[in-house]
Amino acid sequence: MESGAVLRGVARPQRPNRPRARFANLSSLRWAAIALILIGWFVYYPIVDNFIVSTTDQDIYTGEVTNVGLANYDRLLHDPVVLLALWNNCLYAIISVIFQVFGAFLLAAIIEDLRSERWRRLWRAIYFVPSAISITVTGLLFYFIYQPQIGLLDAALSRVGLSQFVMPWLGNEHTAIYAIIAMSQWQGFGYSTLLFAIAIQKIPRDLYDAATIDGAGPLRRLWSITFPLTREMTGLMIIVTITGAFQVFNEVMVMTAGGPNNSSQVLGTWLYQKAFIEDNFGYGAAIAAVIFVLTMLTGAAQLWYTKQRRVQL
Amino acid sequence: MSATVAAGRSRHVNVWSAIATTLLYSFLVCLAVIVIYPLIWMALSGFKDNAQIFGDPFALPVHWSWNNYVQAWNQGVRGYVTVSVLVTVASAICTVLISAWTAFGLTRTKMPAKPLVIAIVLGGLMLSPTVAIIPLVKMLQALGLYNTYWALIILYTAFRVPFTTFLIRAYMLDLPEDIDEAATMDGASEGQIFWRITLPLCRPIIISCVILHVLFAWNEYLFAMIFTSGSDVQTLPVGLTSIMATHGTNYAVVFAAMTISALPIVVVFFAAQRYFIRGLAEGIGK
Amino acid sequence: MERSLQVVAVTLAAVSSLGLSMVGSFAASVPVAADPSAKVEYSGTLSVLTKFGLQQLSPYFVNLAQDYEKLHPGVKVELIQESDDSVKGKTKTLVASNSLPDIYFSWTGSWGGNFVRGNRAVDLSAVISPDTDWGKTLSPAAVKAFEYNGKFYGIPLYQDAKFMGYNKQVFAKLGLKAPASFEELLTSCDVIRKSGVTPISFGNKEAWPAIHFAGQLLAYNVPQAKLERDFDPATADYSDAGYVAALKQFSQLVERCTDGAGVNGTSYASALQAFTNAQSAMYYQEIIEFDQAATPDSALKPADFGFFRLPVPTGAKGDPKSIEGAPEGYMINAASKNIPLAIDFMKFATSKENAQVLSAPPYGQPSATIGGASEKNMSAAVVDGLKDINAASYLMPWLDTANPPRVAAVWLSSLQALAGGSMTPEQVMDEVRKAASAVK
Repeated sequence: MESGAVLRGVARPQRPNRPRARFANLSSLRWAAIALILIGWFVYYPIVDNFIVSTTDQDIYTGEVTNVGLANYDRLLHDPVVLLALWNNCLYAIISVIFQVFGAFLLAAIIEDLRSERWRRLWRAIYFVPSAISITVTGLLFYFIYQPQIGLLDAALSRVGLSQFVMPWLGNEHTAIYAIIAMSQWQGFGYSTLLFAIAIQKIPRDLYDAATIDGAGPLRRLWSITFPLTREMTGLMIIVTITGAFQVFNEVMVMTAGGPNNSSQVLGTWLYQKAFIEDNFGYGAAIAAVIFVLTMLTGAAQLWYTKQRRVQL
Repeated sequence: MSATVAAGRSRHVNVWSAIATTLLYSFLVCLAVIVIYPLIWMALSGFKDNAQIFGDPFALPVHWSWNNYVQAWNQGVRGYVTVSVLVTVASAICTVLISAWTAFGLTRTKMPAKPLVIAIVLGGLMLSPTVAIIPLVKMLQALGLYNTYWALIILYTAFRVPFTTFLIRAYMLDLPEDIDEAATMDGASEGQIFWRITLPLCRPIIISCVILHVLFAWNEYLFAMIFTSGSDVQTLPVGLTSIMATHGTNYAVVFAAMTISALPIVVVFFAAQRYFIRGLAEGIGK
Repeated sequence: MERSLQVVAVTLAAVSSLGLSMVGSFAASVPVAADPSAKVEYSGTLSVLTKFGLQQLSPYFVNLAQDYEKLHPGVKVELIQESDDSVKGKTKTLVASNSLPDIYFSWTGSWGGNFVRGNRAVDLSAVISPDTDWGKTLSPAAVKAFEYNGKFYGIPLYQDAKFMGYNKQVFAKLGLKAPASFEELLTSCDVIRKSGVTPISFGNKEAWPAIHFAGQLLAYNVPQAKLERDFDPATADYSDAGYVAALKQFSQLVERCTDGAGVNGTSYASALQAFTNAQSAMYYQEIIEFDQAATPDSALKPADFGFFRLPVPTGAKGDPKSIEGAPEGYMINAASKNIPLAIDFMKFATSKENAQVLSAPPYGQPSATIGGASEKNMSAAVVDGLKDINAASYLMPWLDTANPPRVAAVWLSSLQALAGGSMTPEQVMDEVRKAASAVK
């Protein structure tokens, strides 16, 4: 959902500051005070505290806290599941970029090329529906769809004669993470399609008309008008999608909780497993720190991208 | 001569474009089926009994009985819906009011250190809830907020204020300032301008923000899972996983519960689609 | 500008220090002991975390609470009912946030030991030792299962142990009888599979079902003394050859008796459902599940339900008379404001009348109260199972609650890999040894 906000920043040139001396300086801070306290207290402070926790070893039962320096980070470097989880996050990012950025872009271009506004609205709405539904619902739904006994997928495969592909999708170490990612694409592509559709609507129609008169076919128009004129959007969607991929938690938690044999762990669920199942808050906080650094990197990429386009927040 | 060539070419083009159009439409229809069928299957499975669910997954229900839906509603879903509505409504009001208040300060007052304030507020956009989760557990416990509605209301507000402020601020930047300048001349205070002039003018974006927030809060899972226990404070997403765990093998009831929890938000989306898309379009800028 | 920056800085600093000071505050960590002469004050709220969240079980505590509230109108009982699966995560979140309820569910072994170590459980020795009035009403073995450092911390509610349930009709049709050895079980599986029925329905999505198979096989293959030494992080080395032998037997069982690699995609609940629907011939289950597996309404009727102890592999070097299982019970929060009331509630819960309700269908949880498990109202299968439990020479605790969490996690994930065919028994033991040495 964040993507809309970020995009807003892109296209907006900064307004010059108008001097308005009629209100006193300091008392004006009250306008920001509630937000600053709330965000400072519940968003920033915990993240700072997380770094402190990550240098400790805590026994949740006795409440004992031991300072262990960077030991948790050292352990993290030698934890094969962290590597696997990181790889799964990367897979998530790559596949999501393919489907939810490029796939959604194409789909939006196809839809916006339709004549009737009513049909355009209908397609957009249909594809969007899964995005409106809670991830727990879709996660549980796909848990059932992938289920060997009652699932739609295996039943459909054997109906169409592909029974050699019938398998417990979430129970197989090689397919679990892909099955989860596939669900995530199903749920998410409609949202990005909608965003691209809105971006495409902003392109002046006469550009297309002129190109058509010059004899450009639909593919040509797509390539030389739609694509370049939504490039900012595409760039930002890529960054937003990647950021999202490193924060994935819900769908994995609901569908496999990281199993079987940790094959579908992502950083978020591994953090949960370590901190809340294995009682190791310090180590969990160290994993959280990794997530923080990764999302900061993508965040910085986003800032750099918007700066480069000479626009500011 | 040249006319016939042109005519031939255009007929040629027409055939190809007809094929292309057909292909495109069938692609769109297939995609729509992939998107919609699982949801219909979910709703239909809520009408089946367990034997049917284990039998043929594609079959239509034999008896159209609301029994499972009634059972799901009475065995927990009603409570979860109540909590979800409460948390969603309260956090939506808090978020939008605080955000509008802040956005007003950032656009209409001579607030000191504006760039810094903007950076702090909007920087919150980049921080992920997962990273904060461990310290938050302790903090909310120390505050005595663990396992209360307040925990969720406060956290949903704190984590959504940056985004919402961003949207409202962008909208306010575009509002003409003549009106409030005139009001200032007439002796109106900042507070009066905010409540009487700016807030009403922002109605469209505020509706959009409320809808975006409702979508978020109704579906949020991580905080709800960690910070609540006990069915009387659990929201729908967490409640659903409890239903799944406690109903063991009574899948039909689980399907019914899933359908009940998905339905309101789909209805809200279709009813408020216009505002929702406007919100996103506003966000994207002109 | 500069001044306003200072204001922001000061505000943020104030906010942070407020937060910082809070992180330091923890629950009082002084041992608390129950006082048998304390007067019970029948007022206020009593919160209880149960493991009876499952739809079939949840009415038990709901009714119990209602009866208690009727008896003592000033008391309100608040229930947090979790399922077998979710109670672990929930308990830990409650501990971490210092919000454990007045009464909470606990397993024996390392799980319960954590509460004792953190002074979060009331020392109940003065009221529940086997020689006290209350203690005399409870099975002494069950009370002793919650003994730590010579003190008693738990109130055992029921006995639990693992048995292989089977469908007598399927067995009779194929001319099979309850197998006498592990090898015979495997050959029976081959026969059943040929007839088109799944021999053992096994759902291992949750990973602990495999732990239960392996646990019983470990008890058969590894001598008790070595097992117990390995449960203790200080002395664990997992060097006994019986470990690998047991895991090899487990792999054979998965291969010949179950859906093979598919088991990891099926939840234990669907496996139970398959057994109940008579789609499988056997299901390895806890005695507390007997009355859920076969009901008058299900395809598998109670009369067709039979069970046997997982048969012993020939030549196994452990204890052939051991059974995997342990009593399960409740502890009282040391930080509770009303410890005497909490104790009184648990006395009520373990009274003979309530114990008999618990032991009978539909709950079928064999009570730890003496005389609570009355044969009159219980299912025949549960009565027989209880006899087996009482005859067992050793109760092998669940691997995942006997071990420290980190070792338990490795057991869980590696056995999932073993069942899925991506690890060998030797590799599993390597992983377990690594985790055990890291915990030291």
